[in-house]
Amino acid sequence: MRVACALCLLVSAIAAAQQRNFIACPIVRDTKTVPCFLAEYQGELYYLGIQQDITAEVPLPQLKHEVLVEGRVSEGPRVCGGIPLKPLSISVIKEINPACNTILPAEPGIDAPSGTRGESPDTESLSGRQEFTVLFAFNDDDVEFGSIATVRKAAGYATKIKASAVKVSGYRATTLLSNGQRMVEKPGLAEKRAQAIATLLQGLGVASVSADWTADPDPGDGKNDPSRRRVTITVVP
Amino acid sequence: MITRALQMLKVLFLFAIPITLAAQYQGTRNTWIEPGSQETLPGFDVFDNYLGKLGVLYASGPVDTTGHPFFTPLGSNGRACVNCHQPTYGMSVSAEALQERWHATGGKDPVFAAFDGSNCPGLPQDQEKSHSLLLHRGLFRIPLPWPPQNADGSPKPVEFSIEVVRDPTGCNLSPKYGLKSAHPTISVYRRPRPAANLKYVISGGQPIVLTTGLLADHDPDTGRPVSMNLMSDAREPTLKTQAVDAIMGHEEAHESPSRKQLDEIMEFESQVYMAQVEHVYAGPLVERGGPFGLGPAALRDRQPGVSGDNGFDRIFGIFDPSKETDYYRKSIARGADIFMFRQFWLRDTAHINSIGLGNPLKGTCSTCHNAQMTGQGLSAGWVDVGTTNYPTWTEPDTWTETADLPVFKITCRPDADPHPFLGRVIYSTDPGRALISGRCADVGSIVMQQMRGLAARPPYFSNGSAKNLREVVDFYDRRFDMKLTDTEKDDLVNFLGVL
Ligand code: HEC
Ligand code: HEC
Repeated sequence: MRVACALCLLVSAIAAAQQRNFIACPIVRDTKTVPCFLAEYQGELYYLGIQQDITAEVPLPQLKHEVLVEGRVSEGPRVCGGIPLKPLSISVIKEINPACNTILPAEPGIDAPSGTRGESPDTESLSGRQEFTVLFAFNDDDVEFGSIATVRKAAGYATKIKASAVKVSGYRATTLLSNGQRMVEKPGLAEKRAQAIATLLQGLGVASVSADWTADPDPGDGKNDPSRRRVTITVVP
Repeated sequence: MITRALQMLKVLFLFAIPITLAAQYQGTRNTWIEPGSQETLPGFDVFDNYLGKLGVLYASGPVDTTGHPFFTPLGSNGRACVNCHQPTYGMSVSAEALQERWHATGGKDPVFAAFDGSNCPGLPQDQEKSHSLLLHRGLFRIPLPWPPQNADGSPKPVEFSIEVVRDPTGCNLSPKYGLKSAHPTISVYRRPRPAANLKYVISGGQPIVLTTGLLADHDPDTGRPVSMNLMSDAREPTLKTQAVDAIMGHEEAHESPSRKQLDEIMEFESQVYMAQVEHVYAGPLVERGGPFGLGPAALRDRQPGVSGDNGFDRIFGIFDPSKETDYYRKSIARGADIFMFRQFWLRDTAHINSIGLGNPLKGTCSTCHNAQMTGQGLSAGWVDVGTTNYPTWTEPDTWTETADLPVFKITCRPDADPHPFLGRVIYSTDPGRALISGRCADVGSIVMQQMRGLAARPPYFSNGSAKNLREVVDFYDRRFDMKLTDTEKDDLVNFLGVL
């Protein structure tokens, strides 16, 4: 019992040590091909992605805005001079910050990796009660490009099985930064997220959509916080 | 001796080509079709303009304008659609043509109707200066209700407050027509968009708009999602709603048009194709083996919804500089390459850099203008490229008429998301899409127009801020720090001029 618990503490301590949750200005590094996005934290550079098409898995940072980075240090060589993070969540902070304005010139030896496209919506056949999860950027209720496919998939499934009920539940969350600071998403966001998704489902022709939300924020643990900024869509046959 | 003869032949040949090709489009003329005209328009017509010739093709054959609702006044001010959508001017109308009309009719042409053909209806209508925006920039007044309304007339929720900070036309502060009047109205001033090649403009509706993650508008008749590429602000879902509003607005009708009239208008609009067919120096460009996209017949024959932002199926087809020997054809082909492949830093443009693609990104003209046959946006195409928000990038030093346009101050509510690159207080001469959506993120976003028949219809951009294509190119050079050389600018102008 005791040993197991000590082990699990150790594991979670290591996980926390690998976790990088911070807010910084993104840095753009030009290359011979497309630009890379990086950010600096405690004197170290982290790699956040390269320009690619709109199907990219993670949305890219924006100059003129700080970015909230939540990621785990991953094995493997540096990319564009930065340490890769995986999984990685990027949230563009909505207020503008003109100070975020650094573009580094291309340098020999620093090349952009070739782009990976986001996963295409899978065609696996679903049956029975299904739950779909739509994730959001911090403090944001915009439905990102990558999430549109999830909403359409849920809508397609609900329509196909003539679902008796489609329940939409919205949440807001807390992010625990690596420096110990806690950031709570704004009040009202759980409702806005739920309404946004319910509206899309209805617009896609799904009947009997009901929405609820949890007004209080989920707590943050600094490890899986991005997964709690969410709306779940439960399709009941 | 032989070489001499050959040379002679060559010279003859060189002359012969232009002569025979010119013969192809003999009898070109420029016309102004009056509302109520009774004539038959040929199935294919060619008109001169400053960069060459425009071809207009009626796919259903010759058009009898007699009593035709596109050509006949249906309202109270004597105007018909054709007033502002003239075949000679690419189914739009140029500022120069409007000046000619002013002088030819002493300002009495119905196109100058007080309602939207003058800076404001309350102004003395016989004076040229009361129509300055129309005469100098080709701009009609577009009165929009504030706050925006849902289809049932209920007010839409809005994320910002709007104030008028400069009002050179007097319309926005007017107690009768302005923001504080009994029917609060915002007047913006815009160019007519071409009423041609419309299958490309209306195709491609997706249920969810990719750039906003919001539901697309629907066709009220069929319930299907629409392209949201009609009008500078996508306020009209379909050609039908557009036609009704044009008749009730531009034509000031007191009665709704009949179903038959609407059907005839839509049928007509849907078979008009227009594009340049000949360059003033390079000659005819619509020819076998040339780029497939040129000329109106190609627009008739090809399909909408095709992306041209790639190397294999390019926008307007392949212009091959290495194949060309003529000076101008070479330049046009190089211009096409710049449009497709010349990378620059695309920065701080709302709805391009703010949708997950990153800010900045390396892109080209065709990153935004990606629809193969028209160069519009393939999906709902409103973007704040910097034409109407301050700092505006449109006005070259020589442009002295900036003070002509109203300026609005937009303040975003604290609980709303700000404009992604301009923040919470924005100054704009035309908030564009935001006047319809009520969203801060949309302030200054304008729906891309189709890039066809450009040479026939200067000035450019929705606010007429580029007097000619060179000013369009200069705008992009400033806005995106493209560092184009003079030759490259000429190349782009020549390319845009043959579309
Ligand atoms: C007084 C001038 C005027 C008249 C008359 C007029 N229009 Fe227009 N038209 C405009 C202007 C200006 C716009 C652009 C408005 C905007 O972007 O907000 C426009 C836009 C359009 C468009 C949109 C094209 C696109 O690509 O977005 C269509 C289609 C159109 N008009 C058809 C018509 C029809 C049909 C009629 C007659 C029933 C008509 N117009 C009458 C000035 C006019
Ligand atoms: C960031 C997206 C973007 C890029 C990149 C871009 N454009 Fe545009 N373009 C627009 C938008 C939006 C409009 C409509 C603006 C308006 O009317 O105010 C427009 C309008 C135009 C028009 C005016 C058409 C008319 O009928 O008035 C032309 C011509 C044009 N662009 C050419 C170009 C060229 C050439 C390039 C490359 C040098 C380019 N564009 C790059 C977004 C873009």
